[in-house]
Amino acid sequence: MSVSRIFVANRGEIALRVLRTAKSMGLETVIGVSEADRDGLPAQTADRAVVLGPAQATKSYLNVDLVLHAALATGCDALHPGYGFLSEKPELARRCDEEGITFIGPRADTIEAMGDKLSAIAVARAAKVSTVPGTDMIDSAENARAAAEELGYPVVMKASAGGGGKGMFLARSADGLASAFTRATREAQAAFGDGRLYMERFVEKARHVEVQIIGDGEGNVIHFGDRDCSVQRRYQKLIEEAPVTAMPDTLQRRLRESAVRLCAHARYRGAGTVEFLYDVAREDFYFIEVNSRIQVEHPVTEEITGQDLIRHQILAASGQGLQIAQDQVTLQGHALEVRINAEDPARNFQPSPGRLTAWSPPSRPEIRLDSHMRDGDLVPPFYDSMVGKLITRGKTRDDAIESMLRAIHDFKIEGITTTLPFAARIIQHPEFRENRITTRWLEDSFLPALETA
Amino acid sequence: MTLKQQDIETLVHLFGESDWTELHLKYEGEEIFLSKDPSSPGPARAVANAATTAASANVGAVASPASLARPAADAATGGQVDRSGWTEIKAQNLGTFYRAPSPESDPYVSEGATVTEETEICLIEVMKLFTTIRAGMTGTVREIVAKDGDMVQFGDTLMWIEPGA
Repeated sequence: MSVSRIFVANRGEIALRVLRTAKSMGLETVIGVSEADRDGLPAQTADRAVVLGPAQATKSYLNVDLVLHAALATGCDALHPGYGFLSEKPELARRCDEEGITFIGPRADTIEAMGDKLSAIAVARAAKVSTVPGTDMIDSAENARAAAEELGYPVVMKASAGGGGKGMFLARSADGLASAFTRATREAQAAFGDGRLYMERFVEKARHVEVQIIGDGEGNVIHFGDRDCSVQRRYQKLIEEAPVTAMPDTLQRRLRESAVRLCAHARYRGAGTVEFLYDVAREDFYFIEVNSRIQVEHPVTEEITGQDLIRHQILAASGQGLQIAQDQVTLQGHALEVRINAEDPARNFQPSPGRLTAWSPPSRPEIRLDSHMRDGDLVPPFYDSMVGKLITRGKTRDDAIESMLRAIHDFKIEGITTTLPFAARIIQHPEFRENRITTRWLEDSFLPALETA
Repeated sequence: MTLKQQDIETLVHLFGESDWTELHLKYEGEEIFLSKDPSSPGPARAVANAATTAASANVGAVASPASLARPAADAATGGQVDRSGWTEIKAQNLGTFYRAPSPESDPYVSEGATVTEETEICLIEVMKLFTTIRAGMTGTVREIVAKDGDMVQFGDTLMWIEPGA
């Protein structure tokens, strides 16, 4: 399973990121690009670039046959899928296996199991990792009251047969629970022809926390600490940091151990992220899902551990195991990442593609920029709007934030509108600085305040 | 700063895609002249750099390299052929180019063959899936650029056809 020539099946900053590590490991590199990216930095950085198809992703980056054919025809013995595109398609992993190409990621069956919400939750439960506490079907108001007492208020009742808020209600106490139950049952019956309800704990103040792990595929798993990605808009992360600092130490230890236990149970291979909902009021966390790929926000983990996660991915995939023990992973300082999206926050985050007439990032030891853009480059309108990630490192969270504010201030970008100034406003906000935000904060509090300001 | 090979490749590529017929660039003592007209007398005043004029005739055809070595700017096949009026047949996606329906068969077409819109001219294979390419025009096959069994990329010139009844 030794790897000597890697095919990069992705574009943009992650393609460049993978190419750099592959080159530093002495590996040969080939990238498959679309027509729109043939003159881009990743295509020029790889030892060889081949044009798969036109700009349209379904006819290039998302076409498994084209990607495989290109990898085989260029003599590659390994394939890195990056994130997005085909990275979590079990079909690509499976067909790489069939063709004798080392897929740099988990096994196909792992990707499949983690990609399905119910089966992922089943794996978590089997590994004794807590999921959002809930009940089976509840058939009477009396049982609902008993269940709510057991779960602890607030609770949410949901219709078993469907979503869209039909048959759903929130209860903060036993008051009115019985009448709400009757009403919801009737509503669900009318909407879905099925009045059955179940109950879950309602997490009012949630933070998004996640643990970075690497597994060898044999059940050995280590973690690289955690990240907090609570600044989100429409479930898209905008700002990420490592480590989590808004959690009691013992809970944080349990969080990391849970992630390791879950992935060891799944005999996970390669890099993965276990995502959790952190219930701030109850000081508890619940498993959400496993992302079976390298993630956009992996640099903040690299910055506080000094580890190259792409390198660990390649080593694990090529059967060389973990190459590092848990006690060799030390976390130092704090890192912050801001996604640079070519979008205009003043126009409801409309994409703002175009030609860069200036791109001049500051260069200082505490700053890292992961980007494939150069002055004069075109931001094509066909893909994700992310043009890079700005990362700063500091002794403390405050240091990292201050460095980020300076970095954003000194970063000259012209020709396109980006979310950088918007990000600066977020990280200057007292509630962000005091680390009191939740996943709803940006949309429920920060954005409305901007509009009325 | 001087022009790198990559810059030249990019220029040649952009020029090939453009509607321009000639491009003459002087940059810090270096000079590049590109023309789509093989009988072009060359740049107006100075004598163009010999190495770069070699790329002038047929910027569209970029051969697919067999090794990881990057194609040179002048990798296009010989600059002497007059292709004015000919039409390029380009690959619509990456794949393996085959001139015949099977290894034992005769090629679909050879240079000099007359074709109509429906004439099958080659195969492109992607992971054992074969797509027949048709001429899409009436004319005469003048030059088959792609080599049988080679990988071609999206946009590569497969062959040249001279239109005509």
